[in-house]
Amino acid sequence: MLTSLESMIEWIIGLTIVGVLVLVGIAIYYWNSIVILGNRISNSWSQIDVQLKRRTDLVPNLIETVKGYMKHEKNAIKMVTQSRERMMKAGNIGAKVKAGNELTSALKTIFAIAENYPNLKANENFKALQDELAAIENKIAYARQFYNDSVLRYNNMITTIPGKFFAGGRKTKIYLEIEAAERAVPKVRFPEA
Amino acid sequence: MKHEKVDVYGQIANNKRLSFLLAILIVLGIGALGYVFGYTYHPDLAFTIFIIAIIFAMLSSIIGYYYSDKIVLKAVNAKKAHPVNHKKALDLLEGLCIGAGMKMPRLYIIKSPEINAFATGRDYEHAVIGLTEGAVEKLDKLELEGVLAHELSHIKNYDIRFMTLVSVLVGTAVIISELLLRNFFWRGRSSSDRDSKGAGIIVIIGLILAIITPILMKLIQLAISRKREYLADASAALITRYPDGLADALEMIKTENKGRMKISKATMHLFISNPLKKLGADSLFSTHPPINKRIRKLRSM
Repeated sequence: MLTSLESMIEWIIGLTIVGVLVLVGIAIYYWNSIVILGNRISNSWSQIDVQLKRRTDLVPNLIETVKGYMKHEKNAIKMVTQSRERMMKAGNIGAKVKAGNELTSALKTIFAIAENYPNLKANENFKALQDELAAIENKIAYARQFYNDSVLRYNNMITTIPGKFFAGGRKTKIYLEIEAAERAVPKVRFPEA
Repeated sequence: MKHEKVDVYGQIANNKRLSFLLAILIVLGIGALGYVFGYTYHPDLAFTIFIIAIIFAMLSSIIGYYYSDKIVLKAVNAKKAHPVNHKKALDLLEGLCIGAGMKMPRLYIIKSPEINAFATGRDYEHAVIGLTEGAVEKLDKLELEGVLAHELSHIKNYDIRFMTLVSVLVGTAVIISELLLRNFFWRGRSSSDRDSKGAGIIVIIGLILAIITPILMKLIQLAISRKREYLADASAALITRYPDGLADALEMIKTENKGRMKISKATMHLFISNPLKKLGADSLFSTHPPINKRIRKLRSM
């Protein structure tokens, strides 16, 4: 009787230790997963940032090329330079995304206007810039997609059980807004050469 | 929109399960063959030959595994993509890699007017995507993105590694059954001195197994290969979020390609569409699923 009680206690202690170890293991796994997924979001933001910066750097070249041909389109050119300045001043993600969207639409206007200037359209420099900007625009779209995918995985992780218990009160991250038309109807995307 | 996404994820999970099941079937087949082999052969010598066969199969596949990218690039005569001449394709590939969150593989170009593409390399670091000149010239941006995303998916899903493993297993099975058949032949001549009424049945069962198993395994390997194509199509749609791009590209391949690429037959399973055959005649022995079925699946995503 006594021995069976002793062995029972031993069993309980043993099981408790195993249980605690398993719990600690699970906690470490989820903690690390959450940190890794969070880091992935910041990394995917830097992917967007790189492309935004490359585009911002190309804008002065574009203005320089376009200026000579589009003498009467001062407004459109001004819009581009202004949104570029805002882009460069923007500090946080929200402001950068907003300025980035503005620059996108300002550039779209420029390329739409350029359709009326055959000499400009034939300019090799302009063609190369247009191609490059279209390629960057495409990469920005994909970088945003990956950013949002990363946010989705992170948010799923910290809002579903059991990840929720290990999130330590972390808040869900916000998605980047993509203009609905941009991805849904690819045929009207950024103009191509 | 939400419904579509769930479908794609579901298809990926489904394909993964099926591939796993098929791989287990192959392993079980090898086990059965090995058992029969050990039973019919002289026990002492049998084991040694058995081990040698397996080591041989492993060694050849390990070499294939580590040099797969170089061997394939030589076999299809592909050249590294030019940073200026092939800028469009390189830019699209870079964008897709950003979207999929993976390292950009090297891009190679094959001199051929046919529309085709392949992926190879054992892991992300050694991954290579090959495109024909025909694909670069004839496909528009969205179609080319679809094709590149399909190849990128093969890399992302570790298909090349998986298929190498499967071909090792199949290769081993073929070698074992070959030995088994030789053994029967040899024994049949010298067994007159032995009373072999009970052994006769086992010999017949073994003979049937030895003949059928390699064929069966080859069929399983091809079935896995076709499953992997569907999986890569689904993953590609997930990366581009535009399944019609790849569907349009397959449509182009169907009408434009004549199946006359000058490449080694051993590499044909790597391509997005069979490079050596005019499409249409699809059977159990195809490395690729019927193109019309692939297009239908993509259109319904």
